[in-house]
Amino acid sequence: MYFALTDDQREFDAAVRGYLAERFDLAAVRGEFEDAVSAEPVGEGHPEALWKAAAEQGWPAVLVPEDHEGLGLGMVEAQVIARALGAGMVPGPWRGTVLAGEAIRLAGSDEQQADWLPRVASGEVVGALALRGSAPGTIPGVEYGRIAGVAVVRSGVGLALVERPGSYATPQRSYDGTTRLASLSVPDAGAVLPRASEAMIVELTARATVLVAADLVGIARESLSRTVAYDRERLQFGVPVGSFQAIKHALADLHVGVTMAEHAVLYAAYAVESGLAGRELAVAVAKAKAGDAALQSTAAMIQYHGGIGYTWEHETHFFYKRAKRLAGQFGDSDAQRQKIASLTLGPVSA
Amino acid sequence: MDLTFTEAEEDFRRQLRAWLRANIPEEWKRPGFWESFDDDESFRLRREWERAKALAGFAGIQWPTEYGGRGGTPGMKAIYDEEMVLARAPRTVNPLGLTFLAPTVMAIGTDAQRKEIIGPMLRNEVIWCQGFSEPGAGSDLAALATKGVRDGDDFIVNGQKVWTTNAVHGDKIFALVRTEPGSTRHRGISMLLIDMHQPGVEARPLRQMSGASEFGEVFFTDARVPATDCLGEIGDGWRTAMLLLSFERGASGIAQYTEFRRQYDEIAAVAKRLGRDRDPVIRDRLARVLTELECLRLHAMYVLTQVECGRDLGSESSMTKLQWSETFQDLWEVFDDILGEDATLDSIGELDLRPMHTESMWSRSVTIWGGSSQVQRNITAERVLGLPR
Repeated sequence: MYFALTDDQREFDAAVRGYLAERFDLAAVRGEFEDAVSAEPVGEGHPEALWKAAAEQGWPAVLVPEDHEGLGLGMVEAQVIARALGAGMVPGPWRGTVLAGEAIRLAGSDEQQADWLPRVASGEVVGALALRGSAPGTIPGVEYGRIAGVAVVRSGVGLALVERPGSYATPQRSYDGTTRLASLSVPDAGAVLPRASEAMIVELTARATVLVAADLVGIARESLSRTVAYDRERLQFGVPVGSFQAIKHALADLHVGVTMAEHAVLYAAYAVESGLAGRELAVAVAKAKAGDAALQSTAAMIQYHGGIGYTWEHETHFFYKRAKRLAGQFGDSDAQRQKIASLTLGPVSA
Repeated sequence: MDLTFTEAEEDFRRQLRAWLRANIPEEWKRPGFWESFDDDESFRLRREWERAKALAGFAGIQWPTEYGGRGGTPGMKAIYDEEMVLARAPRTVNPLGLTFLAPTVMAIGTDAQRKEIIGPMLRNEVIWCQGFSEPGAGSDLAALATKGVRDGDDFIVNGQKVWTTNAVHGDKIFALVRTEPGSTRHRGISMLLIDMHQPGVEARPLRQMSGASEFGEVFFTDARVPATDCLGEIGDGWRTAMLLLSFERGASGIAQYTEFRRQYDEIAAVAKRLGRDRDPVIRDRLARVLTELECLRLHAMYVLTQVECGRDLGSESSMTKLQWSETFQDLWEVFDDILGEDATLDSIGELDLRPMHTESMWSRSVTIWGGSSQVQRNITAERVLGLPR
């Protein structure tokens, strides 16, 4: 029995976090955030140096097979990166790029794979995956849709590949300044991914859901850790506020919840990667638990920082706003629980 | 990641499963079977069955062979816990002895204690009680007042213990006793091993809100215990107690998961039978419980991994207790809500609800005993998160 990260996976995690701590901390995040929510943003939320370093360290290559110049690793490693990016509030198109690569790997023709996957792995191409809407038509909420070199979108019951979707993109303003969104008005059906099927879209959705859940659980843990650190030091009534039982018990409950969510995300990643029979349930449990943990933990971050936690200058709102957006992606916790109920109780009986 | 057990471990599972299949009468698994006996008779039956199991080699799974144990792996212990639940085997009659006292004796007992205590316990010749809680010392264990006064080679013990599991069936009790006159709090306490079959010891059943009497009270009136029957040093009982409680870390989340998941399935079946599974609120609440149960299962795998890697979980065991006890309680609250206005009835039509009510009532106890949820949150906040006292 071994249910934990391996030493290699831990080192990978340390490398990602180490880079972010030294080269892209919350001050850098703030720069991107302020621009994103400003009246007239000048950037695209895609710092060049960060993406270059990410590519050098293999973050976009994690799931690309070695045949296509990727690292050929699995979802367990991918969720390690996703967690670290969530913890660091990191902007940029990593998830969309990895998932567009997954769509092409799973559903693309040999030619499409050979054409795109090496460029995904190297970071040369930025990708986006959008499973809402359908081409031709309007596809809302596409992460980094303006700058993507390729977007994989639904087209009827299948999937299509849209090159340079930026020409169809309208920015969508969002209070979560850690991520840029666009709405795509795709005029035609695009290039079909020939191996797409209903089952494959389910698989792709599962992978996307796990990576979102991993970002959420990273947010949850980091917001809790920061709150604990603050409440150890913050003095009121002459003592640290963290010595008050009302706060201790709330933070202890959050610690349990976040730890369980971490287990659930790790297991879901493994279940999807290994094709375990219970993977559908595992993914729903992970997303429900991670979403709840992130929403609770980030709300608690504001509350247990007191007044300072409600200010613009403090970082609490980055965590809170990112969690709010991601918690709704690929089905919020309520929707996941409906699925869990169907999987364990059967559909609603007549 | 490797979520499987070794071949040797799976082989152990097959042997155990075969023995359990051959040695648990079918009627024992019938709901209400154990309730049809009086308490003494059911205890006697379970005691004999468990002794036979031990003689067949299915006890002390992780204990060294020199103590009559099986010398197995942590994985085998997890398998044992799981299979016992799956087979609906009777629960152990010697839980405090097996879980807590035996490993403590192996760690710090004298050679004589090791010899006298462990073998007879394994064969159920001696049923051990734990004497910690007192009327004035619950969560605040160090407030205990039971006194032991030195009289030659003996201590004379006076006082009262409460919430003693198996009190009326116990043969011996490991009890925390204040042996230094005038001492307070954690000092001056000894862990004495007291024979309960003597005139100075009286055990009474304690009737719980469920109507059952798993717990009892033990009164000491000039009870006598040789000073050599002290586990650890005299006056060092607090440290002995902390060591002893640390063995709860092995408590198997997988057994709890297996049992609660079966209860979840039974509750879901009741919901369907009553048509309550169509209620979206009930569905959501059942899904919430199932989510927490899945997390408990994964947490059990995490704990087993840590144990196999030789890491000490320390205060993290508080998290395990919180997760299983709060989830178990939530599960039975959903059951009551499924029944709605019939929540308190003994039966609905042919459906006998009494065994489920018993579990539901029991669920109120699990967030109190073994360290209340509030104590577990304090431990988690202070020793895991490092918040100031």
